[in-house]
Amino acid sequence: MIDFHTHPVLIRELLEKYPNYERVARQVFKIGNNFQPLETFFLQMDVAGIEKAVLLPIDCRRARKDAVSSNEQVAELCRRSPRFIGFASVDPLRKGAARELVRAVKDLGLKGLKLDPALQDFRPNNRKVFPVYEAAAALGIPLLVHAGMSWAPETPLERGHPLHLEEPIRAFPKLAFVLAHFAWPWVWEATALALKYPNVYLDTSGLYYDSPKEFFQFVFSRQIPTTVIERSLRTKILFGSNYPRVEIKNMVHALRSLPLTAGCLNLILRENAERLLGLATGN
Amino acid sequence: MIIKLERVKLQTRKTEEAINITAQVDEVVQKSGVKNGLVNVVTMHTSSGLLVTEGIPCLEEDILTHLARLFPEDADYHHRRYLDYDGRLGFNADAHLKSVIGGISCTFPIENGKIVRGSRQTIYFMEYDGPLERTYLVQVLGE
Repeated sequence: MIDFHTHPVLIRELLEKYPNYERVARQVFKIGNNFQPLETFFLQMDVAGIEKAVLLPIDCRRARKDAVSSNEQVAELCRRSPRFIGFASVDPLRKGAARELVRAVKDLGLKGLKLDPALQDFRPNNRKVFPVYEAAAALGIPLLVHAGMSWAPETPLERGHPLHLEEPIRAFPKLAFVLAHFAWPWVWEATALALKYPNVYLDTSGLYYDSPKEFFQFVFSRQIPTTVIERSLRTKILFGSNYPRVEIKNMVHALRSLPLTAGCLNLILRENAERLLGLATGN
Repeated sequence: MIIKLERVKLQTRKTEEAINITAQVDEVVQKSGVKNGLVNVVTMHTSSGLLVTEGIPCLEEDILTHLARLFPEDADYHHRRYLDYDGRLGFNADAHLKSVIGGISCTFPIENGKIVRGSRQTIYFMEYDGPLERTYLVQVLGE
C-alpha cells in the first residue's frame, strides 16, 4: 500500500541539521506534536500496513521566508530509505522555476511536483504558472496540488477552490493533477472535475472535523455517495493520510470502514498510485 | 540529600503495548548513589501511562483489552475537534482516558541502594497511541 500524502515536518534527524526546521513546523505549517526519530515514521507506516510513502515539500520561501521541507531535505530522506518517494516543490512565480523543477527531478531523483496555491501565495490559473505545469507534463511526473481548506495559518480559504484549477487542467491534458484532501469542502466540485477530466485524480487526505472514521463515513456516503467512488472514481482516487496531521493508521481504518469492494480498495490503496508514479510492473 | 532526575527515552512499536521498564528503573536507582529514599517514575505523555502489576503476558493483554472495553475507539468523544494549539484534530480521547484511569506514575521506597518491591510487582510503561518515541522520568530522592 502507498500513502500518497505525507509531510516530513517533524523528523528529529532534520531538526538537528537545519536551524529553521522547527520554526517552519510550528509557525508556517503549524503543528504542535513532538519531533520524532525517523524510526517512528517507519513504524507508523508499519502499523498502518503502508509500504511506501510520498514525501511532500512546499517551496513557500517567497511567501513564508522558508520552505516547509525543501527538495534537498526530501531527497536526503529518500536516500536513507527506499520506502520514501520524494516529490519536488518550486515557487511557480519565481524566475527559473521550471528549470529548477527539471533539476530536482533529474539531479535529485524526485518523482512528482507538489504545489500549494494558498501557502505559496499564487493563483493556479495565473498564466505565469503555466511553464511549471508544462515542465511537469514534459517530465511525465504527477502534480499533487493542495485543494480545499488548509490548516496552515494565513491561508485564504478561497485559494483552495478546485475550480481555479480547471483552466490548467484543460490546458495540460497530459499532466496528472491530483487534488489533495478531496478539495473539502468543495467535494462535489472536485468529484465533477475527476469525472469530467481524465487527467484529474483526488487524494483522500481530508480530515476537518470529528474522527477520521466519522469524517469519511459522512463525506464518502452522505456528501458523495459511496457508489460514485466504487463505480465511477475507483481509478481516480489515491489514499493519502496527511501524516503527521493525522496518524496514517487512523486514515487507513477510516477508508476500510467504507462499504467498498476489495478491488476498489486495492486501487485506492495501491494500484492507482503505482500507475501514476510509474511503479506498476505491468500485466 | 540527593535528588537525581533522569529522562529515559523509549521507542514504542505498536498502537498499544505494555513495556516492562523495571530493569531500566533499577539501573537509574543504582547509578544515583541513593541508599535510602524514594524513586518516582512518571510518563511525560497524556496518551500513555505508567502502572504496576504482575509481569506476565496474560495480564498485559487483559489490561489493554479491558481498558479498550471501557474506552472504545469508536465511542462519542468531545475531543474529536480541531485543536488550534496543535494544528490538528484530537481523535485519541480513548488513549487519554486510558491514561487517566490506568495512571501515569508509581513510587517505590529504596533501601540499601535497591528498590523495595514485591516479587511480582513489575513496572510497565503503557503505550495507548503509538508507535511513538516516548519519554518517562525517573526521579530518585534520598541519601
